[in-house]
Amino acid sequence: MTIRKGLSYLAAVTALLAVLAHFHSSVGIAPYSIVLTTTVLFWIAQATSWNLLSGYAGYFSFGQGAYVGVGAYSMAVLTGRHDVGFLWSIPIGGLLGGVLALAVGAVAFRLGSLRGEIFALLTLAVPFLLATFARINMDIDGGQGTVIALPAYPQWVGDAQHMLFYLSLAVAALAVAVALAVHGSRYGHGLAAVHDAEDAAEVLGVPTFRYKMVAIVLGGVLGGMGGAVFAMQIGFVAVESVFGLTIPLFVIVISVLGGRRHWLGPVIGAVLVVVLQDRLSAGGLESLENIVMGALLVGLVIVAPDGLYGRLRARPWLALGAFAVVLIGMSLTGYWAELDALLYAMFAAAIVATLADRFLAQPTPKSPDATFSPTRVAADRSGRTPQPAARAAGAADAGATEVAQLPLLHAAEALPGLAEAAPQAGEARAAEAVVGLGEAAPQAGEARAAEAVVGLGEAAARGRALVSCVGVTRDFGGVRALDGVSLQVFPAEIVGLVGPNGSGKTTLVNLLCGALQPTRGTVAIGGRPIGGLAPHRVAHTGVARTYQIPRPFESMTVRDNVAMAVMFGRTGASLSQARSKAQQHLATVHLGHLADVRPGSLNLHQRQLLEMARAIAAEPVVLLLDEALAGLNPAEIDDAVAVIRRIHATGISIVVVEHLLRVLNQLSTRIVVLDRGAVIADGDPAQVLSDPAVVRAYLGRQRA
Amino acid sequence: MLEVRGVDARYGDAQALWGVAIDVADGEMVCIVGPNGAGKTTLVHTIAGLHPCAAGTITIGGVDIARLPGHRVGDHGVATVPEGRRVFGHMTVRDNLLLGAYRRRARSRYRQTEAEVYQLFPRLQERARQPAGSLSGGEQQMLAIGRALMARPRLLLLDEPSLGLAPVILDEVFHAIAVIAATGVGVLLVEQDVERAMSACSRGYLLLEGRIAAAGTTAQLREDADVRQRVLGG
Amino acid sequence: MIAVQAALTGALIGGLYALMAAGLSVTWGVLRVINLAHFGLILAGAYLTYELVTGWGLDPILTVVVTAPVLFGVGACLQWAYERMNMVEFNSLLVSFGLLMVTIQLATNTWTADFRRLAATENPYATSSLELGRLILPTTTLLAFVIAAVFIGGGHLLLRHTFLGRGMRAFAQDRTVAAAFGIDHRRLGLLVGGAAGASAAVAGMIFTLTNSLTPAVAYEWFGIVFAVVILGGVGNLLGTLVAGVGVGLLSGLVSVIWSPSTEPFVLFLAIILALLWRPHGLFHRRGVA
Repeated sequence: MTIRKGLSYLAAVTALLAVLAHFHSSVGIAPYSIVLTTTVLFWIAQATSWNLLSGYAGYFSFGQGAYVGVGAYSMAVLTGRHDVGFLWSIPIGGLLGGVLALAVGAVAFRLGSLRGEIFALLTLAVPFLLATFARINMDIDGGQGTVIALPAYPQWVGDAQHMLFYLSLAVAALAVAVALAVHGSRYGHGLAAVHDAEDAAEVLGVPTFRYKMVAIVLGGVLGGMGGAVFAMQIGFVAVESVFGLTIPLFVIVISVLGGRRHWLGPVIGAVLVVVLQDRLSAGGLESLENIVMGALLVGLVIVAPDGLYGRLRARPWLALGAFAVVLIGMSLTGYWAELDALLYAMFAAAIVATLADRFLAQPTPKSPDATFSPTRVAADRSGRTPQPAARAAGAADAGATEVAQLPLLHAAEALPGLAEAAPQAGEARAAEAVVGLGEAAPQAGEARAAEAVVGLGEAAARGRALVSCVGVTRDFGGVRALDGVSLQVFPAEIVGLVGPNGSGKTTLVNLLCGALQPTRGTVAIGGRPIGGLAPHRVAHTGVARTYQIPRPFESMTVRDNVAMAVMFGRTGASLSQARSKAQQHLATVHLGHLADVRPGSLNLHQRQLLEMARAIAAEPVVLLLDEALAGLNPAEIDDAVAVIRRIHATGISIVVVEHLLRVLNQLSTRIVVLDRGAVIADGDPAQVLSDPAVVRAYLGRQRA
Repeated sequence: MLEVRGVDARYGDAQALWGVAIDVADGEMVCIVGPNGAGKTTLVHTIAGLHPCAAGTITIGGVDIARLPGHRVGDHGVATVPEGRRVFGHMTVRDNLLLGAYRRRARSRYRQTEAEVYQLFPRLQERARQPAGSLSGGEQQMLAIGRALMARPRLLLLDEPSLGLAPVILDEVFHAIAVIAATGVGVLLVEQDVERAMSACSRGYLLLEGRIAAAGTTAQLREDADVRQRVLGG
Repeated sequence: MIAVQAALTGALIGGLYALMAAGLSVTWGVLRVINLAHFGLILAGAYLTYELVTGWGLDPILTVVVTAPVLFGVGACLQWAYERMNMVEFNSLLVSFGLLMVTIQLATNTWTADFRRLAATENPYATSSLELGRLILPTTTLLAFVIAAVFIGGGHLLLRHTFLGRGMRAFAQDRTVAAAFGIDHRRLGLLVGGAAGASAAVAGMIFTLTNSLTPAVAYEWFGIVFAVVILGGVGNLLGTLVAGVGVGLLSGLVSVIWSPSTEPFVLFLAIILALLWRPHGLFHRRGVA
């Protein structure tokens, strides 16, 4: 559903509700329904606004009461003491809620290492703090509580309850509209990426800090406006009623029940929870309210942590059927009030939808080759089998080794100015050799031209450095991870970065992509210093990276994982453009046939390939591969090496962090060896690997 | 003493080990070589009870330990030196060692064992009160071995002890392993540094894609075509 | 002089915060469970103490003999349930939040929201005090601190110098390797969960000894106790004690230098600064991977 279509549905539903309320007596709606619906609308607004940060972006907050309280007290103080009209007090309440959210976010999200749990605990303290503030501040109410007089309203509104209803409806519709628009937009996808893998999102170019700030402020504004209307509804604002934990409890139960990753989730949850609450009080069981809600939360996290929306979506007719049967059945018997019947019918639908999968077991479709079998991995590549990287692993006899013709690489097209390049069919390495050379025409079987050129060591042959580290030092506390490292990467290179564990390889990668700042020294990308730039800005200068342990966005399909990188990459693109581009990048790594599955059903090798596809989708000039071959079997390594060559052939320079020397020896045009944070060798692979210092530090007797 | 027969292991749908059979006698040093991803670490974890054994038997002195949970396998004399050492960085060197003697059986004699470990690795005694995280890689490897010895094992499982270590340190570590074997402890060594593993051990197995592809004395293995091609890089 | 008196009293009360924080800190650090329900256990400990003293005429301190084993059992059961449900840190926060709300509501339904305080006749320690020159230390406060310090100190020694304690610390750092050396995570979980429950019983008793009791008071513990947990370093008991005393001292000082009402603000500011400056606690040794 597009955003525009969604918004028009929302407008229609809002208008319908308003009309029904206005003519309630003519259509036979009991006045009590309007009271109840007003409550539902309040919770829809609260849960929806909470959901922007806590659901979409996954930063759980226990602090919703703070925004409600700020809004409610704005209404109380402004109308009660300063004669501000109530219609003005609502947006002011929203504004103050937004300011509070801004302050909380500015503190919380500035903490780089802040984990979700700490954020949750921090937000737990905010309402408590505001409560003390209200208690001690005589300009507010000194903890006495404030009665809110009913304001004057125009005649056409009807009674006071109608006025509250319309105001609540307006705020709730606004909140849902915002959530809906965010959900379908580029921004919403960015928030989902933050939820799934924040670090990976940032290095792909998602401005995570700004996105989180926007989400928390939107939540604060909507929460504050809702709180202002809520104050009129309850008529008496006291510290306990707004700053307690009941509001966060309800908001969390509603969202967890309905589902946190979709804008409809909180709406569904609010209806169910409010009717349940109403029935409890109707049955004289108010004192059990929090107990039921608490127990519901515990049960939900265990049974259906993803909420009802997804389940209802999967089995809409079954749920609707159960709903209708129970509702009609109970109404016909006549023993039950309408609301009781409604409650039971909703529960029936929810239970049927939740449990359907258990009893009507239907195996979820799996990716066709979600196993480690090398034969199948190799055979599945759209009928083609990649040629193993010559003697790379020197050791592959699995299905992957059957030699097939590799399609001509489109290196020449990808690189303007390389028109003469004529790589031979079946010669995967030729393309690599061509890049940056212009006139090289390597012969079949001999493919080390690029290496030969780089081996000249002349800067002129290399062109301007894409990456340039000068004297980079990085300390962690008292421990020096990198010590005066200088390193350059030139166009068309594949630089192998090796070194013993703890020698600073990963630290260097983190510095190059901006995830860490150097203690001393400078890093420049394409001649531009990146000191002080956030990682997403560094990404836009043309650096992309993969992670040793793949960090895909688990909630998105493989295609959307890659589309994210296109959308937030240097060029930017709309979602639909990005999706079609993503398909091309997936084809480059031979994952095209798995575009519609979720990353969860990929094997390690495929996840690594996905990492690479996502990285190249950002259209980088330099790609940092952090141990992209770790844990792969020989056939998969061959396959991955072929992919790396293909990526290289499109004109991207590559830095490979890797332990497998045989692979590096074949793949890289230059090898840099780190030991205890310092560069101890840098140059031609064969030369470096026979350097006595390198042998001593790293290779040991195996190669000596 | 250790007899592994027909062992399978899986990760979800993916099978990582297929009918693996190996033996280690008391005091014997046996190595397992094979390319990355062949299942060597899975085999060590399966023997140590840290990865479920899907089929087959693993016996120590005749007792089947294949179905025991990880914390019980050690009761039968298996101790592990995990890949990447994995010492407890926030704890002192001595606390790391004493943790090795957590089991009741080992606990009663921990003072004596501790002295033996210090004799083998004098450097650990010098650093006994330092946090283990502040040790160098080589010292951490010694600590990991010492920690395993504190459990007074019959069988020592060593997973990639050479990883990231300088050769000088490695000589020291491998010497210590030989000393340990000489006291009658069986040693099963998984190692990427094939040369070193082969010269340290008397027998070995080649693991390829989860199956034992060759077995024999290390002299025989050196001549094996698969071994030469797949791991010696010949 | 007033400032010294306030600081001293604050520091002593800080012992209680530290004891409340200790159970949370250890379950979080060792078992990776953020157990908000711990506040519910403290509340239960406090009300049980109240009942035992008012109903059965027990000496308040002796009630621990009953409450500690009971809450040990509850804590262990809770941990068993978390373990069964295979909780990640985050879900444990949600589930325990639900449990806490249930507990508080149950307490309200049982004991009402009225403030309850042990009468002087029931609380033999209420009226006496220790005088050191011009400083006056109420016996209850002093007792509270001594008991809290003894418990935390004992826990610290246990963690540092026993095989069980080393097992817990090892388990906190690397579960797999710890298991390979014979640490049974189920037993350890029951033990740690139970110990946290027992500490909640003691904390509840101390609270009843020194304060008025109402179910909603559990909310007020949140901010300060989590501040102590984080400042002290998750899983670090000695750090928790020092942080508790520090926070108590600070709030004591602030309340006389400015006013009692500014206390939460200064505390909150301190927490934020500490988080920015030392996110792993005040006593975290850096560079020890």
